[in-house]
Amino acid sequence: MSADANSQSDVETVVETVVEVQKLLNKIGEFVLHRELDFEVRAGEVMTLVGGSGSGKTQLVRVILGLKRPSAGLVRVFGVGWDDPSYARVRAARERMGMLFQNGALYSAFTVYQNVAFPLRERGGLDEEAIRAIVYAKLAQVELEPKHADLLPASLSGGMVKRVALARALALSPELLILDEPTAGLDPDRSDAFVRLIKRMRSEYRFAVLMVTHDLDTLHDLSDRVSVLADQHIIASGSIDEVRSVPHRFIENFFGGERGRRAFTAA
Amino acid sequence: MATAQAAIEIDELPGAGAGATIHVSGDWTFGALRKRRYRLARIAADLQHRSAKSLRWDLTGITALDDAGAVWLARSLRTAEQIDVNPRYGAMLTQASQGLLVERAEGGLDPLAGVVRVGRAGIDFWFHLRDGTALLGQLVLDLFRVTRRWRDFPLLELSANVYRAGVSALPVTMLVGFLIGVVLTYLSALQLKRYGADLLVINIVGIGVVRELGPLLASIIAAGRSGSAMTAQLGVMRVTEEIEALSVMGVSVTARLVLPKVLGLAIALPMVSFCTDIAALAGGVLIAKLTLGITPAAFLEALPRAVEVVNFWIGIGKSVAFGFAVAFVACHYGLRVLPNTDSLAAGVTQSVVASVTAVILLDAMFAILLRDVG
Ligand SMILES: Nc1ncnc2c1ncn2[C@@H]1O[C@H](COP(=O)(O)OP(=O)(O)OP(=O)(O)O)[C@@H](O)[C@H]1O
Ligand SMILES: [Mg+2]
Repeated sequence: MSADANSQSDVETVVETVVEVQKLLNKIGEFVLHRELDFEVRAGEVMTLVGGSGSGKTQLVRVILGLKRPSAGLVRVFGVGWDDPSYARVRAARERMGMLFQNGALYSAFTVYQNVAFPLRERGGLDEEAIRAIVYAKLAQVELEPKHADLLPASLSGGMVKRVALARALALSPELLILDEPTAGLDPDRSDAFVRLIKRMRSEYRFAVLMVTHDLDTLHDLSDRVSVLADQHIIASGSIDEVRSVPHRFIENFFGGERGRRAFTAA
Repeated sequence: MATAQAAIEIDELPGAGAGATIHVSGDWTFGALRKRRYRLARIAADLQHRSAKSLRWDLTGITALDDAGAVWLARSLRTAEQIDVNPRYGAMLTQASQGLLVERAEGGLDPLAGVVRVGRAGIDFWFHLRDGTALLGQLVLDLFRVTRRWRDFPLLELSANVYRAGVSALPVTMLVGFLIGVVLTYLSALQLKRYGADLLVINIVGIGVVRELGPLLASIIAAGRSGSAMTAQLGVMRVTEEIEALSVMGVSVTARLVLPKVLGLAIALPMVSFCTDIAALAGGVLIAKLTLGITPAAFLEALPRAVEVVNFWIGIGKSVAFGFAVAFVACHYGLRVLPNTDSLAAGVTQSVVASVTAVILLDAMFAILLRDVG
């Protein structure tokens, strides 16, 4: 048993900063997308990343996920760099995070059930009955019914795809959940339900969220901290009020517009 | 953030059969459970043996819970009489125990599976025939419409397809043709030498290549190269809803995507098989010189006398039909792909198999119809 315990704690380290990006230089071809970019997500917080369309938010998330190798700089998730030579450490870090892609990225050949069960089966250590229970619990959490479980992704509505993808991202009870535009394409009711869902889940067990969004209501309701990406780097980072007081054209437009006033005066 | 071990303690109440209180504490997460899985399995087995009644569960000591932990507990809690739980975790436990209750229909062994399979294959075949006929009819209609409005003619796509299926296929097709020419000539030369009928090699190689092998080789390679690409392209367009986007813009999918492919291959393949003929004959000339000592000049002089020119035209005509068939079958399968990756993979495989089969069937038909010619 002790050998077993060791192999586990070897690869899983407890860190206060779950995502750490320092002095990132990120080029696509010759085009510099990020320069001197510093960014962090702390354990247990909801960090919202905002920025204009095309400012490179999705690309930053891809770098953090290890899908794209940065040209220079440091990227660590759970204290592990993606170029770490230890396969076990990298894999353990991957199992501690869940990702909701902008367009869902469900496996099209798998049913809803198989999509959600997939990460559980890959991780191992659970029998089929437990997997089934978790899958149906996750589906219930995102307000999908058991009768949807055997549908293929092609026969789901856009909003359902989002919810299944969220259920899949949550399947491993991740310590870091990355959401790229989670409420885009959902009706206002579902957006609110989504906010409530994340809040409730975070009250049950604490996990960090890195969220990319344009939706001021979602941002206002969930965020602990906000980072603003513009001019190739993070121009401001902090609580909503701190960020709003930073003088920058993008921040004034984003928070100061009519929609911004509505979202922030209502509270 | 110190992680407490997942702990479970059983407090026997005094008196036989009076029951017990079970104290659960610590972190009940996947990682924590995995560290103690053997001990926990033993405890679970132990609890199974107890009389179902009078077990009190005290879950208030739990410091962290995730789904794996909730499911573990939910399974043991099925026999509980009373449960004390921190309200924070109540919802999660309820969801896990409801998840356990959902039935999944398991696919059992069906004694009639064979019958169902045969029936389904028959129905599938019927659908293929029906859809294929519809596509053919649509193509003819498109062709008529296009001839009345030349502006709609997909000239750009057509020339791109001729280039892709024709010019870029030449190196591999000609190489294969040359090698087949070498093998065929060598084998026939060995036999003919024994009977002293050396010059007959020109007849055999000439007719065989020009009438049969050239067109057949070219179209089988086209099925593998171009046919599979066509199916995959249409299939991916279906998966990414590009086909739907085209229809919404009022662009006819058959006229814009299928017609140029079918016409393109029907135009390209005769030229490819002409080049294949030349490469195969070159192989034949080389080997005839090496094994039988027939000079290239003598070979080429005897060729038109040995092989009537009608054979050449039959070969070219067959190539047109083969090109049409390969592209048509490929597009037919491409349009049937469902929007998922499995169906795409299956579609491409079936498309190549079906188009090669179609080519060989057509070849057999031509052989019977034209048995008295040439
Ligand atoms: N493969 C690529 N090659 C070249 N440029 C790219 C590539 N991928 C993305 N880009 C560019 O990188 C920039 C940032 O793209 P990104 O997808 O990160 O934007 P975003 O901030 O997520 O925008 P949105 O809010 O619209 O999703 C864009 O200008 C885009 O054109
Ligand atoms: Mg984006």
